[in-house]
Amino acid sequence: MRRRLDAWVRERLPLEPLVEAVRHKTVPQHRSSFAYYLGGMTLFLFGIQVGTGALLLLYYRPSASEAYESVQFIMTRVPFGWLVRSIHAWSANLMVAAAVAHLVSVLFLHSYRRPRELTWVSGVLLLGLTLAFGFTGYLLPWNQLAFFATRVGTDMAAAVPFAGDFLVRFTRGGADVTGATLTRLFGMHVAILPMIATVLVAVHLLLVQAHGMSVPPGVERNAQQAGRPIRSLPFLPHFVLRELFGWTVALALLAGLSAFYPWELGTKADPFAPAPAGIRPEWYFLWMFQVLKYAPATLLGIPGEVLVFAGLGIGGVLVLLLPFWASRTDRWRRALVGVAACALLVMAALTVIALMADGGAHK
Amino acid sequence: MTTLRVVIGCAAMLFASVGVVQTQDRVEAARKAFEGDVHMAAGLQCAACHSGGGDAAASSYAVERTRIAPMCARCHSDPAYMRQFDPQVRTDQYSQYLTSAHGRDMARGELRVATCSDCHGVHGVVRASDPRAPVAPLHVAKTCATCHADRVRMAAFGREATPFADWSTSVHATALLKRGDTSAPACSTCHGSHGATPPGVTEVANVCAQCHVREADLFRASPKKAIFDGMGQAECLVCHENHAIHQPADAWVGLEQGAVCATCHDASTKGAQTINGVRLGLDALTRGLASAESVVERARRAGMLVDDARVMLQEAREHQIQARVLVHTFADKPFADVAAKGLEAVQRAERAGEVALEELQYRRRGLAVATLVIIGFLITLGWKIRRLAAPGS
Repeated sequence: MRRRLDAWVRERLPLEPLVEAVRHKTVPQHRSSFAYYLGGMTLFLFGIQVGTGALLLLYYRPSASEAYESVQFIMTRVPFGWLVRSIHAWSANLMVAAAVAHLVSVLFLHSYRRPRELTWVSGVLLLGLTLAFGFTGYLLPWNQLAFFATRVGTDMAAAVPFAGDFLVRFTRGGADVTGATLTRLFGMHVAILPMIATVLVAVHLLLVQAHGMSVPPGVERNAQQAGRPIRSLPFLPHFVLRELFGWTVALALLAGLSAFYPWELGTKADPFAPAPAGIRPEWYFLWMFQVLKYAPATLLGIPGEVLVFAGLGIGGVLVLLLPFWASRTDRWRRALVGVAACALLVMAALTVIALMADGGAHK
Repeated sequence: MTTLRVVIGCAAMLFASVGVVQTQDRVEAARKAFEGDVHMAAGLQCAACHSGGGDAAASSYAVERTRIAPMCARCHSDPAYMRQFDPQVRTDQYSQYLTSAHGRDMARGELRVATCSDCHGVHGVVRASDPRAPVAPLHVAKTCATCHADRVRMAAFGREATPFADWSTSVHATALLKRGDTSAPACSTCHGSHGATPPGVTEVANVCAQCHVREADLFRASPKKAIFDGMGQAECLVCHENHAIHQPADAWVGLEQGAVCATCHDASTKGAQTINGVRLGLDALTRGLASAESVVERARRAGMLVDDARVMLQEAREHQIQARVLVHTFADKPFADVAAKGLEAVQRAERAGEVALEELQYRRRGLAVATLVIIGFLITLGWKIRRLAAPGS
């Protein structure tokens, strides 16, 4: 009976080549193998976001008059609504952290090398998309802090030369942050961005499967010199079980954070109230926020904000196209790692400074 | 003799020159102050006030004190003239001043009482609505205190000085000076400004009733009104005093020492039961609110959303305020009903807080169970990983 059912399924779902590929897939083993789990962790958290987001959609109402109340309803009346919302919020933050860690590990291990250039590009675009998810989701509870932070955040787009005014109006759906902005950001958060993300994730995974896991140049060289093959681990079940272990730990962490530190809702947004103290974006935008604070009003007649955005834009393009301009020599690779490490340290320091300044403002 | 005449002549010239220099200094100071004056902004010049009103003999640098108010009134009591600067401007200040204690004494030739320039300034006059004005809400009490808090000055009129601290420690001063609530009363709100006169015993309640409408209505409908009137007592002041009006406390209601009611009542007098009942109700509300607030706050600090409980607490606080106002009925019934509603809201709020805390415990128990399950799963997974064959090449 079971054999007949198996044959019936195989005839209609020709998955044999895929199953065979997975059965024979291996993952290299070396001292930096832990980095291979970061992509899977990001994917797991993305899955959590999709699941919890879909549940929140059952009750959430995307209008200025109902958004706050609907989240309040979810938090207080819907069975386990508090858990779903807190997990969604915490998981969003952990996902950004995991995605950044994944990108940094790929950069430090030089996994972007030929032929994985497009894997890198799709990964950088996915990180940008993750940040866009964070930005568009921040306003959705329609609370006071998010309202004013979004006003400041969208204001920054005005510094973009030529298209600034258009970008501000496009993001806000008008001249100021209103209910139209909420509806617009909601549409982006639950429809446009997930659609793009699904395509990009599929492309990214396909490329990862097609090229296999990258081995760091040093490990590759050592193995060649020693004349022995690189140790590897079967993907199924060895790697998958280890990955499952990490995901379960992440799930436990999310449950603990949600139970002990439920995500706050704050007070309902009031467009006519004075801006509250301590307006700030999510932690992953804080370093940019701090850079803007240090920017001079004008430099050589150019507004400071324009200069900062020009610098960030150039930096973003350089990161996106890294595999196409980075040299293949060891010296260059070491220099690149050094520059990237310094940039990360500066970003971390700026984030800490912004957090400390914010803590001081609340005292 | 000639020498003596020369010395006297020189001395006279010296005094005259010193006098001229002092006058020049005063004129210069006045000219500078006048630069920011509202009258200068309106296009008036020095001669508008210092011409003596067309009377050449009266023309002088200094305007006599008795002539200051009539001089100001020349313009400020003329609606047709004043309308050009402000169509809403009032022009009854002088007629009010004439009815005030200040105006009546001035009319009798008493030069030490206040006239326009004593409160509004002389050459640097700004609009009364200007926050810098000495008569602006935040400054007017200090301006009045210049004279009325001065014991020596007031003794000359046979009146007691009013220490500034009486008002400045009151609830009204706290609202005005600390919270910046410019609707809170200062001296002129109760005594009038241009027609300033101390309110009489029969008028005090009307003055307080301008703001405390509900309390005044309840008091007038209560039996205490006739009793106080018969005793010649100034209604509100009996319990609340006049200038040093402090935050009323529930402890004022009671028969023990320090309670306001105890001034007239003791356990044997009529009303003792009502006083005790009201006090018990007030105390029960205060205790209940404190307990419910503590429970709700604990739940809030633990990260629970307690908006419903906070709405109930607010409802209870509103009933508490109403109950405190109903003390002015000096009766059991309406007070007891509102206090009961307040207590019911307190209980609901406390229950909502307890439910939130129970929910928190439920979540933590759930988390503990989930953690145990997860740890069990992780141990199994770890065991399975270790049991798997060593990785192949």
